[in-house]
Amino acid sequence: MSTVQGHPLVDDYLRRLERAAAHLPRARRAELVAEIRRHVDEALLEASARDEVAVRNALERLGEPEEIAAAAGPPARDRGALELVAMILVAIPGIGWIAGAPLVAFSRSWAGREKALGIAICLLPVVLFAFGFVAADGGGSSTPLPVDASPTAPADDLELGSDDGGLGPIEVLAVLVTLSAGPLAALYLGTRLRRPPVPGMTSA
Amino acid sequence: MRRMEPGEARNTLSQLRRGVVEYCVLALLRDGERYGFELVRTLSEVDGLVTSEGTIYPLLTRLRRDDLVTTFWQESESGPPRRYYRLTESGREALAAFTSDWARFRDGVDALLTKGGAG
Repeated sequence: MSTVQGHPLVDDYLRRLERAAAHLPRARRAELVAEIRRHVDEALLEASARDEVAVRNALERLGEPEEIAAAAGPPARDRGALELVAMILVAIPGIGWIAGAPLVAFSRSWAGREKALGIAICLLPVVLFAFGFVAADGGGSSTPLPVDASPTAPADDLELGSDDGGLGPIEVLAVLVTLSAGPLAALYLGTRLRRPPVPGMTSA
Repeated sequence: MRRMEPGEARNTLSQLRRGVVEYCVLALLRDGERYGFELVRTLSEVDGLVTSEGTIYPLLTRLRRDDLVTTFWQESESGPPRRYYRLTESGREALAAFTSDWARFRDGVDALLTKGGAG
């Protein structure tokens, strides 16, 4: 289909353009390169010459590839890449929350309230655990164990006293909340995801 | 007051040009559709309007994304299929608004540049 494909000068020019436009999303870059390639086709067709002079003239009128790429817009990060990483991280219990929450907060694809709610959902287990520990501490300190009494009390008794009954319903609930909070938060954020602002004509 | 560098007038012009060329594209489409190469060549033949033809293509993409033009493909007798551009209703409105704004802008600037505003 493309009649100038194979001309070394054109190939070299288009390669430079492709490199210079590396910051553009893949589809936009491909479209830009295709447009310029078609332009060279038309220019050579119009000049009804395919020699080196005609090619050089056509490329010179086009301008520097770097200039064309710059006109296509400022370096824009891949749409949604940050958001995708943030959602995946948030879904992972533990370390994921710590890394995911700031990414969510940093993104411009969610409104402030959505960010707050998303982060709150994934931090829910942490809050519950903190609450649980405080409650457990409170329970323990209500029956303080005198340090002097420990030599007389058998160690086994102490362990039994610390509610060693395996997984109770509270613990099962805690595990469920822990495991589901992240994915729930990610799911919520996913439904609230909106496209980052597209640079309009006036911003050029 | 900031001192204006000699090269800055040129830079101002290139910024001005960038904002104006897109309306020139819309103006070229006012009476009918045209294909990309045709648009670019017509613009580049206007003295002082476009410095490099290639930079017009990103501008055409922007006009399309802003819904001021639509595109369609059509077979060409001489070569590969061509992408044609056509004005949308909002493109027509944007062009009309710019046309009257520009007339006032140009007249105002001209008056200052030629007579120093004394007229």
